[in-house]
Amino acid sequence: MEIPYEVTPRRDTGLYNAKLGVWLFLASEVMLFGGLFSAYVFLRLGVQDGVDNPWPWGVSVHKSYVWLGAINTLVLIASSVGVVFAWVALKERNWRKYQLYMYFVVSCALVFMCIKSVEYHSKLYKHHGIKLVDNSVMEGVIVDGSDRIRFTGEKLVIGLQGALPAVLKDLKGDAFPKFTVTEGPEGTVGEEIASASAFKAWFAKNRRAFYAKLADERQRFRAEKASGVENPKPVSAASSVTLTAAEPFSVAGRPRKILLHNATALNYRDGVKVEGKLVSDDILFEVHEVDLQLVLPTKQRESVVWNVIGDEHAKQHFFTLQAKKYQELAEYYKDRGGVIPEKQLRGRFLNVQYVHVAADGHGEEHGKDDKHAAVHTSEPKPTAGGGESEGHHGPSKVIAVPFDQVKFFGNHGPRYGNYYAIYFTMTALHGLHVVGGALVLLFFVVFGKKLYLKNPEHLANRVEVGGLFWHFVDLIWIFLFPIMYLL
Amino acid sequence: MADATHDFSKHKKTYTAVGIALFVFTAVTVAVGLVPWFDIGPPGPDGADFVLGLAVAATKASFVALIFMHLNHEKGLIYKLLLFTFLFFLGLMVLTIFADHDPIREQYDTLETTRGWLTDKPEKP
Repeated sequence: MEIPYEVTPRRDTGLYNAKLGVWLFLASEVMLFGGLFSAYVFLRLGVQDGVDNPWPWGVSVHKSYVWLGAINTLVLIASSVGVVFAWVALKERNWRKYQLYMYFVVSCALVFMCIKSVEYHSKLYKHHGIKLVDNSVMEGVIVDGSDRIRFTGEKLVIGLQGALPAVLKDLKGDAFPKFTVTEGPEGTVGEEIASASAFKAWFAKNRRAFYAKLADERQRFRAEKASGVENPKPVSAASSVTLTAAEPFSVAGRPRKILLHNATALNYRDGVKVEGKLVSDDILFEVHEVDLQLVLPTKQRESVVWNVIGDEHAKQHFFTLQAKKYQELAEYYKDRGGVIPEKQLRGRFLNVQYVHVAADGHGEEHGKDDKHAAVHTSEPKPTAGGGESEGHHGPSKVIAVPFDQVKFFGNHGPRYGNYYAIYFTMTALHGLHVVGGALVLLFFVVFGKKLYLKNPEHLANRVEVGGLFWHFVDLIWIFLFPIMYLL
Repeated sequence: MADATHDFSKHKKTYTAVGIALFVFTAVTVAVGLVPWFDIGPPGPDGADFVLGLAVAATKASFVALIFMHLNHEKGLIYKLLLFTFLFFLGLMVLTIFADHDPIREQYDTLETTRGWLTDKPEKP
């Protein structure tokens, strides 16, 4: 089917229809992003009272992200210039040039997405934060696997209703522990389970038996009630099973799946209980930075973070830096009445200090003028207690963070805080726009030759319209870059 | 514009110039965050820096919209359309004044009550 198309502008609107259409579409896109920008303002204003994880104010927090963002800005601007030149090339009826410019634009989009994925990878897989009970925050890297609760199990108490126990995924070791059923419903006691697949089959079989028993019981109850028995025996079916292992087995419990744990028991959220002995629930953490913006200034010196880090040098350094910044503020306000507004003393500037806790026990500044204050994208280096020097700062100290001092820990994914939530929402939506726009432009260049030969002006209009969308995507990024990375 | 014999060499010059200007402004945007000279207002990130950063971004955005998106010589219908977009967008931004609106807290005339600052004055480091 041929869709009728007018190349020339309509007399009543002064525009060709596609252009009017794309502007209507862009107007609604402004609303889409406008809502999110509004959300950004709300979240940013709301974060100040210390309810959420700290907002990474300014650039000192993530300087290498700034460079990634800046390069991406340049890439998008270059691609925008490319689109207008591609359109001009079509107007001048120069197919070869048009092709070149369009492929340039599409490769810019590719570069943009690659850089974006580097950034996402660093935030999601390489950088963590731990918030302690008094809201002090440490930024750094969790040593692989140490966020698990390490436990030596002897017994497993499971329920037969519901899904397969979550603990199965946390069992560590070469061989599946050999379990014997020591307590359980009739007929199960004494059964042996020696592999994960055998466990699944055993669990499925007994779950079916349990629900069958339950159904029978219900039927019995109804029948007895109908036949007029006074106080019939309540419905009951045994579902609890105790499995005893032949040898103690290791469990690496995922904290999110565990409700409570103590020295002798691990209680999973799905009701499964592991009995045995706790090995360790410490989180091994390579500290890069300390952030006290959520701790009252009067409480900062006694903050639990200093006990956890156990490094007097880092602590001294933190407060030396704070005093220096206070001086800067005092200097600034000296000619302006001499009083520093309390707003300035809060959160964002004075109480955020970036202290590199080095393995040799000397704090170093990660401040504004530090060219090497790159984001810590390095792999976790379990070099506790020194070792060879790594990079500019040397290895960071790896400390053991006691589990009961931790309020929250996680990667810098959307749930880490309001900043990361809105960052991922907006940049991901923008990224989808980049991908969509690039696909459309790629279509125009790969499959455009036929239309070009038939009616070049038609193709030029298409490219203009696609280009309008592309410029819009660029325009959104122009705002996203400063608000997400710089300010 | 739909005329194939139109001379585009002037346009090309404009587009190149705007592209270069956008590159320069990007450098300025980064400098607002990084270079102390651009740190207007009190030292450290604050409202003044935010305004400056957004002003630079708005300048860049208007270059893109006016030159690349040809809004500088577009038909009136599109302006009428964008007027509504602008008003709605403004509405969304005006909404955010409610972020700091708290009738309970406002009885106590200062913001500092929220974090115990009235009873707990900061120690001068």
